[in-house]
Amino acid sequence: MTTVAAVPTGPATTRHTPDFRDLLRSERTKFTSLRSTWWCLGVLTVLGIGFNILVPALITSSWNTMGPGTRQDFVRDTLGLVLQPGAQWAQIAACVLGVLFVASEFSTGMIRSTMLATPRRTPVLAAKAAVFAAVLFVLGVLIALPSLLIGSSITAAHASLPLADPTTVRGVLGFGVYLALTGVLALSIGALIRHTAGAVTTVLALQFVLPAAFQAVPGNVGAHIAQALPAAANVMLGSGHNASDVYSPWQGALILLGWTAVLYAAAHLTLRRRNV
Amino acid sequence: MTSSRSTRSAPPAVEARNLTRRYGGRAVVDSLTFQVRPGQVTGFLGPNGAGKSTTMRLLLGLERPDAGQALINGRRYAELSRPLTEVGAMLEAKAFHKGRTARKHLLCLTQSQGLPADRVDEVLALVGLAEAADRRAGGFSLGMAQRLGIAAALLGDPRIVILDEPVNGLDPEGILWIRTLIKRLAAEGRTVLVSSHLMNEMAVTADHLLVIGRGRLLADCSTAEFIERHTDPDVYAATPEVARPALLEEAFMRLTADSVQYAAA
Repeated sequence: MTTVAAVPTGPATTRHTPDFRDLLRSERTKFTSLRSTWWCLGVLTVLGIGFNILVPALITSSWNTMGPGTRQDFVRDTLGLVLQPGAQWAQIAACVLGVLFVASEFSTGMIRSTMLATPRRTPVLAAKAAVFAAVLFVLGVLIALPSLLIGSSITAAHASLPLADPTTVRGVLGFGVYLALTGVLALSIGALIRHTAGAVTTVLALQFVLPAAFQAVPGNVGAHIAQALPAAANVMLGSGHNASDVYSPWQGALILLGWTAVLYAAAHLTLRRRNV
Repeated sequence: MTSSRSTRSAPPAVEARNLTRRYGGRAVVDSLTFQVRPGQVTGFLGPNGAGKSTTMRLLLGLERPDAGQALINGRRYAELSRPLTEVGAMLEAKAFHKGRTARKHLLCLTQSQGLPADRVDEVLALVGLAEAADRRAGGFSLGMAQRLGIAAALLGDPRIVILDEPVNGLDPEGILWIRTLIKRLAAEGRTVLVSSHLMNEMAVTADHLLVIGRGRLLADCSTAEFIERHTDPDVYAATPEVARPALLEEAFMRLTADSVQYAAA
């Protein structure tokens, strides 16, 4: 069974059986080799740091016109003030990129190449989620650190934000966890819907429209539901002392984890069952 | 000699056993049973909608059969641990992300198989895309996209090659290139299954034919035998031997016309 020279001889005899690390490498290559990835990550960083600076700056500048109750809220939850605005807007880029990472494979036909290479299918989804979550976690922490440094200096005249405090550390790591889980949630929706525009619309509706809609419901039933949606998990970036919070930071993290786990499981089953 | 498989009696490279696939109650692939042998080009023919592409998708694990089995080296495709080193396939010219360069497209596939990255440059050179390696594949002409698809199919140096309509839409030079490549792959002892509805192309490329109509197997024989059996005997006798491949189209028409009448009766 020799091979004619014109077709290079196969490497089949010398290589190991591929394992999950090979899939991670493959998905990393896919992720980094598209321009849309770098655009989205750039926008994510600008939105994250930008709003984390802008909102504390605006609030500080209007300090003298604010009522005592509002001031009290900001003093009690300065951490939330300097981390939540950026997370709220940066997640848009994370969601779009998460959807694109999966759905673009379906819209371009790449999915057939991927599934021919890895016919067991679901490890591909796991590798994608792992690569994406890792990138977003690291980037999230890298956004949270300068946000805190700048934000604490902006708010220093009115509230202190101890940087070495365990709550602050939780906020920094939480920023990474929040983006990573939200990104995997969007990626799962991309795998479920398979259509870029449809999946982006669905994710943004879940993250922005539904919370606003439920918040508008009178009484605290609507607020409770809104706070149980995945976007409300940004409570995990605060001090936990904000009067309007329904759930604690840890409960918020668990809510997001639950949503992401359920949607990921649904994506896993769908990928296994549906034709590609 | 490279695998333990050759020590026991080798299963057929490609095999369908009562393979059946239904869409909404209608059998698109209907109890197909065939084997594809190594060392020759097997042409997979049938009118549009006969089930050729579905059969290939079943063989490659992209769809699951409703009944029967599709086997590669005796196993279901999904059971292959490094499929690209056993089967190389091109089902569509543009099975890549438009925004990715040819090199990165092949690299991510290479990495998924645990193959060395220098394999990418080897196949790019093999299909003549070395110059275009760092261009985004979305800008490729159809001919270049076909070449990229072939490169992906040959990435793992597979012993089995499955190509769906590889010459569709190609210019004469591209057609000649693919034809030469296909024949060479078979001459190297590989198992080559190529679908097409271009009869003249198959007449000069395929040694063996599998013909299906309405999802059912109509013929499984050598190309020469197929022509002899299904051409008008007078026409066949009057045609010089060197010109007989040109009769494939007529033979095919007669056979598939029969199958339509048969199915409608």
